[in-house]
Amino acid sequence: MDAAANPLLTVDRLTIDIGGANVVDDISFTVAPGKVMALVGESGCGKSLTSYAMLGLLPPAARRTAGRIMLENTDLAALSERQFRKARGKDISIIFQEPSASLDPLTTVGSQIAEAYRAHHGVSKAEAYEKARQMLVDVGIPDPARRLDQYPFELSGGMCQRIMISIALICGPRVLVADEPTTALDVTIQAQILDLMKKLVADRGTAIVLITHDMGVVADIADDVAVMYAGRIAEIAPVHDLFRQPKHPYTALLLASVPKLDDAPKADLATIEGTVPTPNEFGVGCRFTERCPLATDKCRTEQPPLFDCGGSHRSACWHIDRMAEIREVAA
Amino acid sequence: MSERQNVLEIRDVAVHFGGRGGLLGKAGPVIKAVNGVDLDIARGETVALVGESGCGKSTLSNTIVGLQAPISGSVRISGDEVVGANRRQLNDIRRKVQMIFQDPALSLDPRSTVGATIGEPLIARGVAKGKALRERVATLLQQVGLRPEHADRYPHQFSGGQRQRVVIARALALEPDLLICDEPVSALDVSVRAQILNLLVALQKRTGVSYLFVSHDLGVVRHICDRVVVMYLGRFVEMADRDTFFANPKHPYTKALMSAVPEADPEVQRAKQRFILSGELPSPSNIPSGCAFHTRCPLATEICSRERPELTPRADGARVACHHA
Repeated sequence: MDAAANPLLTVDRLTIDIGGANVVDDISFTVAPGKVMALVGESGCGKSLTSYAMLGLLPPAARRTAGRIMLENTDLAALSERQFRKARGKDISIIFQEPSASLDPLTTVGSQIAEAYRAHHGVSKAEAYEKARQMLVDVGIPDPARRLDQYPFELSGGMCQRIMISIALICGPRVLVADEPTTALDVTIQAQILDLMKKLVADRGTAIVLITHDMGVVADIADDVAVMYAGRIAEIAPVHDLFRQPKHPYTALLLASVPKLDDAPKADLATIEGTVPTPNEFGVGCRFTERCPLATDKCRTEQPPLFDCGGSHRSACWHIDRMAEIREVAA
Repeated sequence: MSERQNVLEIRDVAVHFGGRGGLLGKAGPVIKAVNGVDLDIARGETVALVGESGCGKSTLSNTIVGLQAPISGSVRISGDEVVGANRRQLNDIRRKVQMIFQDPALSLDPRSTVGATIGEPLIARGVAKGKALRERVATLLQQVGLRPEHADRYPHQFSGGQRQRVVIARALALEPDLLICDEPVSALDVSVRAQILNLLVALQKRTGVSYLFVSHDLGVVRHICDRVVVMYLGRFVEMADRDTFFANPKHPYTKALMSAVPEADPEVQRAKQRFILSGELPSPSNIPSGCAFHTRCPLATEICSRERPELTPRADGARVACHHA
């Protein structure tokens, strides 16, 4: 099935304003059923705001000023809060970084999962509990009947994240937004959770929007990647193309700054000089200009569009033909 | 005199918590956080301490700087015993060992200028004051890649990476022999992480400071360390020099850790042989018998639940605690 032909979720020219600055600026991407789209970028790049907008969870100061978020034929961005309550959990769900902060400490995990199910289904508590028990089996929790009666503090971080995934998936949403789902977990537990997410995608055909800053996690699980910088998409591509042949200086430098297997020990890592501009420092041109080794006057004055590089690989850079120079800087 | 000079010598250190009368006079469980470890760090050497939450690595770090008393064992920093030292002795020892943490925002006083923060240890020790103090602070700021005029600014005026530079400058103010770095780059963005790692390497080349680098990120560890120690439930299960460690990991737990860390390369990552552990870390208040790892180990046999394997040297110099590795 061609991913581009049958998208389940289409984010179309989404723009979000905070205090007069476009902190999310003209973002577009699509996700097909059973695919994982990773939004990658550093703090402040707008990846989390983009994901909150999909759930109708934007903070009060943030306002969507343009664009649509289409889940098949419904524009999520246009839903009222009342309508969103019906969609959340059933059509689209989210899991966050810190599972212990998302769970109610005073309620057993069983009733938290059952409550999520009953929010959308008129069933008895006993039926909802049975659903919850099955769900715990699906997410690989041993001895589920006993776990249902436990409180979050009695469970480890990895176990709590499985509970969060259970709550998010119990109503069978077609889209799961995962905001740094494994960042707070130990690596062996992270591997378990990533494998679980891969299995759910394969078994249920759930589309996942994965928010992360970890290039390793992206390499492991993503089908497509959108690299975000200062509120814009710098580059968007299928995962293998992005890692093999980055077409934006920011992506190339980001990849080069991660220590590699074959690096000489203690050799200098590639760095990106300077810092991310704050929204009031956004210029009219490319927002990466001040830190970019390839920058010219044109970059300062004109915003580059996303150029098509072939094979659904696109990059917002005026100097795609000079990427070889970046590889020299990075090496 | 080419003899190995150790800035840190740990011998058979054990740290336990609890066990005494708790609520209603009932004895609580004893939490055995560290259970008899030995470790040396030479001058100018970087040793990585690797392990997951609850393995005892932070307790061990705290014990080294004298924030936590062990129930037994010895910790020497450049020859001076930390265990049982009185307050004045500890005060002297602490100028030789400093610590930096994961989140620089939590390590800095928001109401002190960066200059005051960096200068504080120098004033407290009577090392410098007045103009000399200002000059020393300016030099330290430059050493960590900041500018002298930054001394008058407050922590909130800096980015996360710059704050971590300030924390490093303060830790280096008294020219310590050993710097304990507890996940120093985990809270930083990837591009900034590389800047701080480069800085730590450059500072070591210049000053000869030794690092104990506590981390769960094996990519970073591989980049920055000379030797690696893996800890599981309060004990070391493998120690080796960097190249041996990464070329030929031996303990099944080490192998599991390595296979769990995702490589930032989809082809390598997706072709990788996976070795995913089942289950979770047992509680340090109820450590399994024999080899503590046997409950999660794919190689475990009957002997593993009965006899605890000692760290034994292997042909390539690595030391491993496993009956089957």
